[in-house]
Amino acid sequence: MNPSADVVARLLAAVPKATAAAAPVKDYPTVRLAAPADLLPAARLLKGELGFTYLEMVTAVDWLGPVSLGGFVCRGNPNPLSRKPAAPPVSPVPGPGISYRPVLDLLWSFGDLGENRKVFLRLEVPRDRAEVPSLTGLFSAADWQEREAFDLFGIRFSGHPNLIKILTPDFLKGHPLRKDYIHQEDEYDVDR
Amino acid sequence: MSTDEMIVTGPGLEMDTMFVNLGPQHPSTHGVLRLGLTLAGEVITKAFPDIGYLHRGTEKLMEARSYAQCVVLTDRWDYCSAMTNNLAFCLAAEKLMAVPVPPRAQALRVVMCELNRIASHLIFLGTYGIDIGAFTPFLYAFREREMILDLYEALCGARLTYNYIRLGGVAADVDADWTSKCREFLEFFKPRIDEYDTLLSFNPIFLARTKEVGLVSKEAAVDWGLSGPNLRGSGVSYDVRKSEPYCGYEAYDFNVPVGAHGSCWDRYFCRVQEMRQSVRLVEQALAKLPTGELMAKGVPKIPKPPAGEAYAHVEASRGDLGIYLVSDGGVAPYRLHVRAPCFINLAILQEILVGKKVADVIAVLGSFDIVLGEVDR
Amino acid sequence: MVAKAVPGGQVVLTSTDYIIDLGRKYSLWPLTFGLACCAIEMMVAYAGRFDFDRFGVIPRPSPRQADLLLIAGTVTKKMAAPIVEIYHQMPEPRFVMAMGSCANCGGPYYDSYAVVKGVDRIVPVDVYIPGCPPRPEALMYGVMELQKKIMRMKLERGGGATLQAEKGSRAPAGDDA
Repeated sequence: MNPSADVVARLLAAVPKATAAAAPVKDYPTVRLAAPADLLPAARLLKGELGFTYLEMVTAVDWLGPVSLGGFVCRGNPNPLSRKPAAPPVSPVPGPGISYRPVLDLLWSFGDLGENRKVFLRLEVPRDRAEVPSLTGLFSAADWQEREAFDLFGIRFSGHPNLIKILTPDFLKGHPLRKDYIHQEDEYDVDR
Repeated sequence: MSTDEMIVTGPGLEMDTMFVNLGPQHPSTHGVLRLGLTLAGEVITKAFPDIGYLHRGTEKLMEARSYAQCVVLTDRWDYCSAMTNNLAFCLAAEKLMAVPVPPRAQALRVVMCELNRIASHLIFLGTYGIDIGAFTPFLYAFREREMILDLYEALCGARLTYNYIRLGGVAADVDADWTSKCREFLEFFKPRIDEYDTLLSFNPIFLARTKEVGLVSKEAAVDWGLSGPNLRGSGVSYDVRKSEPYCGYEAYDFNVPVGAHGSCWDRYFCRVQEMRQSVRLVEQALAKLPTGELMAKGVPKIPKPPAGEAYAHVEASRGDLGIYLVSDGGVAPYRLHVRAPCFINLAILQEILVGKKVADVIAVLGSFDIVLGEVDR
Repeated sequence: MVAKAVPGGQVVLTSTDYIIDLGRKYSLWPLTFGLACCAIEMMVAYAGRFDFDRFGVIPRPSPRQADLLLIAGTVTKKMAAPIVEIYHQMPEPRFVMAMGSCANCGGPYYDSYAVVKGVDRIVPVDVYIPGCPPRPEALMYGVMELQKKIMRMKLERGGGATLQAEKGSRAPAGDDA
């Protein structure tokens, strides 16, 4: 990956209280923003002056803790030959370097196709008030990816032209990719 | 008189729009995609793609599967080219574990992914021909594809979902018999691409239906986040194999075809040219196949990558497939996000279909070469 | 079916059930209904190497013109309602084949929040084809099993409907009462 130290330096200079992330995405420059209001200025700087015109990815991570097994519909052991009881491989304690906290951590990835550079932006928002400005004004690629983040995590993007569910069925309540999602049985889960 | 002038007006005549539902069951939507089109006569005023009919929740399921079990699920995203999906996931996990993959495994990964690119583009060629109305290329393309599937079956036992590229290397070895059969196939295949050119690519009817249709400008392609042949068809020369090489691609000599106008024909012809380049790549990889191990040493049976985050992306047949992997030191990934090229490529339909005729919808949709397994995951 | 010698040649005697079932089994027209990966193997079965046309199987794009619903791929909860509508649009006698693990029982997505664990929860199924994905030969074997089932259909059993349509997917096979 080409060194993009100057990108990080420009971002840190332009956006108040942004920090170079302590645990970056491996081998890529990562900048952590402090508040949702910093997102649009940072994105404008990246697109306008620094040449990062390609929005690659918009996603989020829920740092609450190990995923709740109530989010999965099958509760028994699907392997009839196994003598051990069902034990899905979810870790009960975090490994070193990870701290669980009740936040949703958004991640944006911007690319500069001409110079082959990439930079990641991160922003933590609280789980109950997950509200972030939308990037659809600057990058049309954000349209569906923000709808997906809304559908699966419940993050609201203010300024999005059409923020409705995109992947899950309409009758599904809740946001499935949250770690504390408990699945409510619907008519298709009943074994007739 | 052009069709734009033939709007009939008169006293007492009311004009209204019509809503046409290209429903989830449709022979030409390449899977379960629903397109809601609002028409004023023959002209589309609003296009609304409705997806989610194949949403299986793999990102959530991966959080309760061990890494080896996750590789099985990766096959089923872009099922027409399953090897590249396996590869993207394994590259991300290997980045986290800092495991060096042996050179023989890297060369075999290149061979399998490029053969899979040829197979996937053959499916595109056949089905796009059917969409336009040409039935014969479908049979020819699938005949060649069967030979590639025979090679895969001899290698790893599966025809479509391989689970071959594993964490740390590859699962099975090739012998001299396999490489000679592969070379036989490549020799048989090279004149076939020229055959497809005479049959379809320069066919006047095909050209008339695709040459000026579905134009996507360079700026629009970058703005909407297109990737793969869709981006290159619009004139942007961006290929992950050249910009961030993986698996030793920097050592191979190949070109990246780039289109001129961004029409359906440009995207289609990029894929045909990519098949030629893939043949070159497979020949080079087989010629310099190094000896050695297939799997990296020190990868446990149940891997537990150290806590951290990694992003790895590959040039899949349909675009830039990226995997964002978060590990908390446990047996299962903590979070896995797929940057799915087909999902992002499909969004541009909302814009480029507006103002076009309804008869061109299938030609435009087919030229983006989407696979619903990757759109919905 | 029996051939009897009569002066001047032979006469073939058969029953109405036999000749009607013969016509039905050699002209099964499936709906082009591929959902996921199994759809690719289904397309391969229609193509050159595993020619399906020699079975009389021709894909039809409209449910009104088809008599076999080949569910090839994962059935998600969002897709379940359209599948039931399509099933009801098909004229009788109609048959349903579940192709692949996902359509049989949910497959590798057995614990997903968005997948119906087997299409027999929403439509009655005649033949299940295991595999992930099943080979085209396995699909043809499934069609051959369906053909054997069709030969057991009788006119007296209410308009030629199959066992499954009357009694549901879990009825034991060979129940000809």
